[in-house]
Amino acid sequence: MNERTDARDGAEPPRANAGTVLSYLLGGLAFWGLIGWGADRALGFDTLFLPIGLLLGLVGGIYLIITQYVRS
Amino acid sequence: MYSAASEEGCHLFNDFGCGFEAPGTDLFFPTPWLDFGLPYASGITKYTLVLVVALLISAGFWYFTTRNSKVVPGRGQSMAELFVGFIRDQITRNTMGKEGDKFLPLMVTLFLFIFSMNVMGLIPGLQLPVTSNLAFPAVLAVFVFVLWNAVGIRRHGVGAHFKARLVPGGVPAWILPVVVPIEALSNFVIRPATHMIRLFATMFAGHLLLAVFAAGGWYMFNLFGAPNIGLGLLSTGFSAIALIGFLAFTAFELFIMAVQAYVFVLLSSIYLGEAMEGAH
Repeated sequence: MNERTDARDGAEPPRANAGTVLSYLLGGLAFWGLIGWGADRALGFDTLFLPIGLLLGLVGGIYLIITQYVRS
Repeated sequence: MYSAASEEGCHLFNDFGCGFEAPGTDLFFPTPWLDFGLPYASGITKYTLVLVVALLISAGFWYFTTRNSKVVPGRGQSMAELFVGFIRDQITRNTMGKEGDKFLPLMVTLFLFIFSMNVMGLIPGLQLPVTSNLAFPAVLAVFVFVLWNAVGIRRHGVGAHFKARLVPGGVPAWILPVVVPIEALSNFVIRPATHMIRLFATMFAGHLLLAVFAAGGWYMFNLFGAPNIGLGLLSTGFSAIALIGFLAFTAFELFIMAVQAYVFVLLSSIYLGEAMEGAH
């Protein structure tokens, strides 16, 4: 039960909950990792685009968390 | 359901030569009483029975507490009012503000229904939490997911709702190709999935844990069958520890059941609140 339940009066700070943060990270890794894996398969590489995709997904996920819940 | 080891009269030191068989996932696949032979359907099983009992309990609660509502509430009515007030103040007002009051009946019903489905795991004779089968949390989570879309579309229109869910605010356009798929996957796949799996997995694991405690306690309980009385006492002592653990975890499990119902409802109303709010 890691959900934050701030009251929503007044300035309404954006409410991050553990589920959203986790789903950004997982979603980033899953989507771009899959794209990278598919690119490896399609272009005949052994392991080249998979780590690139995973990294891109991780960066994208962290970037989303920062823009949506930290910076605003 | 806790009779996996007891059915063959299996105890430690018995002559039957049977080892300890830990309860496994077959606990969650009861033999159907009535099988219609439909593909991907389980037929009428114990789950159907406990589901009906849970339904009757949650419906009966409202029937008996509110059938003679008065301005000055009696005992049952004030219990129901306290419960509704709790959900309103702790959940819907916190996550959706005053507007959330129109979802209050839904949230109250969800909470009570999920809680009574969970509590079925502790009722002697039934002892099978309905939510330990993924199908039941899945239906509820999909229902909330559809409602979440419906509320967003009704409030902001189709375009604005999906734009708010797919295009994160404050992100430069050239990064969008990277983050839009992540947002889509996160909002439309992972979130409803975790919503259902959280409830399912806790009830599944809790029930399995209780079953292991009970089966272990039963298996080691063999005071007189042991080769000597010392071993018998030792094994019975360990059996007692397992059974005390069973009781302690049963109490703990009751707490978890309430917490999980609360979390499910809390998340549902956070999602609905977000859909009403639109882009952030």
